[in-house]
Amino acid sequence: MSIQNLIMNLQKYWADQGCYLAQPYDIEVGAGTMTPDTFFRVLDDRPWKVAYVQPSRRPTDGRYGENPHRVQKHLQYQVIIKPSPENIQKMYIKSLVNLGIDISEHDLRFDEDNWESPTIGAWGVGWQVLLDGLEITQFTYFQQAGGIDLFPVPVEITYGLERLEMFLEEKENIYDLDWSDDVTYRTLRFREEKEFSEYNFNQADVQLLRQSFIWREKEAQNLIDNDLMLPAYDISLKCSHIFNLLDSRGVISVTERVKMISQIRSLVIQIARKYVENGKGK
Amino acid sequence: MMDFFLELITEEMPPSHVNAAVRHLEKTLPVELFTQGLVDKKGKSGSFRVCGTCRRLIVQAEVRDQQPDREEEIIGPPKAAAFSPDGKPTQAAVGFAGSKGVSVKDLVIVRTKKGEYIGVKTIVKGRGAGDILASIFPKVISSISFQKMMRWGDNPFQFSRPIKNICCLLDKKKLKFSIAGVSSSDTTYGHALLSPKKIRVTSFSSYVKDLRDNKVIIFPEKRREKILNQVEEKLAGKNAKLFQDDKLFEKLVYDLEWPLVVLGAFPEAYLKLPIEILSTAMKKGQNLFSVVDGRKQLPYFIGVADACNDARGLIRKGNERVLKARLEDARYFWEQDLKTPLKKRAGGLKKVVDQEQLGSYSDKIYRLRKIVQYMAVKLDVMEERNHLAEAANLCKADLMTEMIREFPSLQGVAGGLYAKEEKYPASIWKAVYEHYMPVGLNDAVPASLNGQILSIADKMDAIIGTVGSGIQVTGSKDPFGIRRNAQGVCRIIIEKKLNMSFPRLVDNVIRVFGDSLKLPKEKIKSYCLEYFMNRLDFLFLTKGYRYDLIEAALSPGIDNIYFSYLRVKALDSLKESPQFEPMILIAKRVNNILRGQPGYKVRSELLIEKRERELHTSFLIIKENVSPLIMKGEFSRAQKMIFRMRPMIDGFFDHILVMCEDKTLQRNRLALLQEISKLFYQIADYSKVVVSD
Repeated sequence: MSIQNLIMNLQKYWADQGCYLAQPYDIEVGAGTMTPDTFFRVLDDRPWKVAYVQPSRRPTDGRYGENPHRVQKHLQYQVIIKPSPENIQKMYIKSLVNLGIDISEHDLRFDEDNWESPTIGAWGVGWQVLLDGLEITQFTYFQQAGGIDLFPVPVEITYGLERLEMFLEEKENIYDLDWSDDVTYRTLRFREEKEFSEYNFNQADVQLLRQSFIWREKEAQNLIDNDLMLPAYDISLKCSHIFNLLDSRGVISVTERVKMISQIRSLVIQIARKYVENGKGK
Repeated sequence: MMDFFLELITEEMPPSHVNAAVRHLEKTLPVELFTQGLVDKKGKSGSFRVCGTCRRLIVQAEVRDQQPDREEEIIGPPKAAAFSPDGKPTQAAVGFAGSKGVSVKDLVIVRTKKGEYIGVKTIVKGRGAGDILASIFPKVISSISFQKMMRWGDNPFQFSRPIKNICCLLDKKKLKFSIAGVSSSDTTYGHALLSPKKIRVTSFSSYVKDLRDNKVIIFPEKRREKILNQVEEKLAGKNAKLFQDDKLFEKLVYDLEWPLVVLGAFPEAYLKLPIEILSTAMKKGQNLFSVVDGRKQLPYFIGVADACNDARGLIRKGNERVLKARLEDARYFWEQDLKTPLKKRAGGLKKVVDQEQLGSYSDKIYRLRKIVQYMAVKLDVMEERNHLAEAANLCKADLMTEMIREFPSLQGVAGGLYAKEEKYPASIWKAVYEHYMPVGLNDAVPASLNGQILSIADKMDAIIGTVGSGIQVTGSKDPFGIRRNAQGVCRIIIEKKLNMSFPRLVDNVIRVFGDSLKLPKEKIKSYCLEYFMNRLDFLFLTKGYRYDLIEAALSPGIDNIYFSYLRVKALDSLKESPQFEPMILIAKRVNNILRGQPGYKVRSELLIEKRERELHTSFLIIKENVSPLIMKGEFSRAQKMIFRMRPMIDGFFDHILVMCEDKTLQRNRLALLQEISKLFYQIADYSKVVVSD
């Protein structure tokens, strides 16, 4: 099964479970959790079901295309259901069976892993799902986001699409994966990984990034003060990505790191609180 | 008696949570059952068992059918109102008796603090076991507290992981109640993935068998056995063993319900990586064991799957693929890291903050260098001074490596391995390698002397730094690792018999901080000494020493941690000796006489009586013999020597009046006893020993 068939399969499956299929968000994020379709929608008490692919950027994970399984941009398949259904584990397992995996021939494990993202004031309890030792999914009962206790509790299922595909194709190198019948992952992504690794580690303009962090941070605060929570959140995401780039340039000291994370966190927490307050009764 | 059985099915709980829950239930349930009158004994009895898997908590016990009946007094109106002065019942008495359904002659007089009342005695029928258990379980289950709790769905209940099913039987019939919105029934389920069949439970023994048929082994000892047997089978004829890792093993025992051992291989090219790195790479993420021949890594691993079989080898092949990628990473880090010498990396530590107030890691290294050199002098290994200083220079450099970024648990170890590759002598690389040890409470302490010195220096620096910055280190949590560090220092000193003054070490460490500490030096020192006193107290208790002997040994203060230990050991070894208790009583008697007295000096010309001269002479001889023993820490021999003074002390007390009329003589006798008491105190504070009588 190619990556695009894998995506289509998951889309069909989760749509059948009642999920609305969102499209990938158009700002750089480190994980599917950070997009508005998850971040804002988990905050209130209204039911929500969504599924989508989200390209996720982690500049420090770049390896110039030389490492067979580490890349600075990968694909997550994100599912959010609120409140978490009673049979969600079974639903998840069925999604794997649906991909043609015969569970009885494998070792499927739910291994404790409590996900946490201090930058967006979020944490949850759950597992990394291991299939024959390979981590294919992060399965989390979301307990808090933007510093707000979440209730009803959403469940978040995040498939690592490349990992899952490597399992399905029994391949050892990410670039050997089939995107479709006649296009490989290498064709689509190899040059991008090489060039972006060079950019992330060596070329990104530190001066410019530091300046833009300062400006963006101010802008976000302004937007919050003007009650524009969605734009303020977009700008905070940009701050987060700038921070990640500076990090991969290796120029952030320990104290600076703590300071920048707490700046972003403070923005996000204000945004979450105001979003919920302003949204009451709407 | 009746059997009861309870099973809670949840989504996969972390092994540490299962253990915590089992322990909690083992502790609270018997007490609760006893309080309710359903069992005779408060403690665990033979028919009581709690066990668990990652998906189940199971309780099985035997209880009474019902609580015993009990007599209850119901109090009515005051006696004065119930009976007229001539003893005839009034309307109040008749009415009260009538309301309780008894006749007036059945009324009794009840004496209370407020006076006499009339009352009735009735027998209250004990409630049935079912009734009580149905109310106990929800209470006990929701009282389990986990390290991290969660909610799910729209349920306000908090637990380790979502509760899926409750099965409860009392005397083979289902017992109804509900927890977290889940109602109990008499059905359970087999293995969630391998045999998720619905099963009706009729008894505990049928349950154990049916679950076994459906791929669940509920008893941890059976799972342990099954894993070990399969490991043996897999490694038979290979001249190979598991690289022992008890923590990983126990984690796996609670991480599955149907263990299947899988033996896999990896390319021999990776064998050039040190075993520490290989085994960490295997353990992290995949929970695999290294396979070794002695200390030599073999190109195999052992994994434990939660599965029936691996007929097509898919589980093995999958794990091999993942491990290969992981080892490839480790090899990349190893080779990358070796390209930059440790010394050069250490330069980069200037930019890494240790703790906000304490400056960077290069500040720390500067301090460590001073501390290890001080210790080298005190421990009489001057020749190691330069090697120790070099080890201190290098020991934190691995914080700058890729390897530690990926595997933080290899701190120190990785640095040591890199130093070894760079051909530093063993007295340097081993010190670096071992300087975080002991990591856990029961982990090994450093084997090399330089490792011990660097480890103590590292830990003392952290303790004084934290305490001196005014950070409160009390409370049950240990966020700065102070308790673990103090425990480590004590264990190294005791296990490796390091003979040095502890207060002076503390002084030295405080001094190397210069003026960067917030609190006044004296305050830091006294706090630190008291803190170590408590740690030693705890350590000795866990070693099984009597609390009063520990107090007696620690009460003179900790001048030398190793000696404090020798003191307890000496007291412990002599506690059964026939001389011991009489000697303690004498010491107590001396103490009592001296209480509140100022210090005096012995003047031998004033020793006029034969018995006091005898005592003084024997004291001087014994003191001369005992003092060198005390200096050498031979407390047991010193004590035995002191025992010899007993006849003279007895003679002294039998024949001489200490508190005599003549004040000069009196003071001189007190002075003699003070001298003796001082000698005792150099061994222990005997007044703290509890004597059985």
